[in-house]
Amino acid sequence: MSEILFYLGAVMITIGGICDLFGALGLLKFPNFYIRLHAATVGTIGGAVVPLFGVGFLALGADFLPHKYAIAGASFVTGIIVLLAAPAGSHALAYAAHKTKIVKWEPKCDHLEVEE
Amino acid sequence: MIEIHLLMLLITVIIGLIFSYLAIIEKDSLKAIGFSAVHAIAYAIAFYILMAPDIVLAYVAVAVGIYSALLIFVVSKTERYEVV
Amino acid sequence: MNLENSFFLLMKFVIPVYLLAFIIYAIRAFKGPTIVDIILAVDCMSFDIAAFMAILAIYFKSAFLISGAITLALWAYLLDIYIAKHLVGKEVGV
Repeated sequence: MSEILFYLGAVMITIGGICDLFGALGLLKFPNFYIRLHAATVGTIGGAVVPLFGVGFLALGADFLPHKYAIAGASFVTGIIVLLAAPAGSHALAYAAHKTKIVKWEPKCDHLEVEE
Repeated sequence: MIEIHLLMLLITVIIGLIFSYLAIIEKDSLKAIGFSAVHAIAYAIAFYILMAPDIVLAYVAVAVGIYSALLIFVVSKTERYEVV
Repeated sequence: MNLENSFFLLMKFVIPVYLLAFIIYAIRAFKGPTIVDIILAVDCMSFDIAAFMAILAIYFKSAFLISGAITLALWAYLLDIYIAKHLVGKEVGV
């Protein structure tokens, strides 16, 4: 039973590392702020929530740790906090950037534009 | 090669040095506050690797949270760009 | 092989990937032309570092090191809200 939890946690940590690398590369290469928000979603959810849940499962399955229940509980709580807080924060940034018009972009059509 | 956590310490401290230099040179005040937040996160990892968790809690609460909020409040009362 | 040796083998492969992602986020924080690009890079960087702190807490075998991750995640969210409030309404306060 503890072996299954350990290997499940190890697989989730590896997937999180690869997703984090792809999110960082996307944040570097995309041309526009509004397109970079898509890459930031991969970077925060795939690169930070999934490894935190993976650390929780790995700590539950390991026998060589002295305080395994404390580490597992704190990791699960941090994962739920990042899952709820990261999309709210980036949505607030996108609303502020659209309202004050500081990003240079040429859209084909902008549905949120206010007609003067 | 050598221990892996010493390599991490070297990389993050060099990144902290680069961003603290950029925060001094910058003429736009809001960008300087952003660079100061990056510098604070790099130093938080450095304190963590040196095994001091109480300093990490105090440093993150002051440098990322309260310092940035206070300086943004000050910038909203005066002008945004430095005039030479 | 027992679990401890396989865990150290996993760490040798995973830790350089997180460090490389941190460096690439720092390059975007240096380059971004507007202020919201820099704050987005700070946001992503701090959530990545929170996950990295949780992994290192198992590596150093100590239970007290996990509390820095929760604090970093919460304060990075508040930094986004401060900048957004300043850009929209020109007032930051209660």
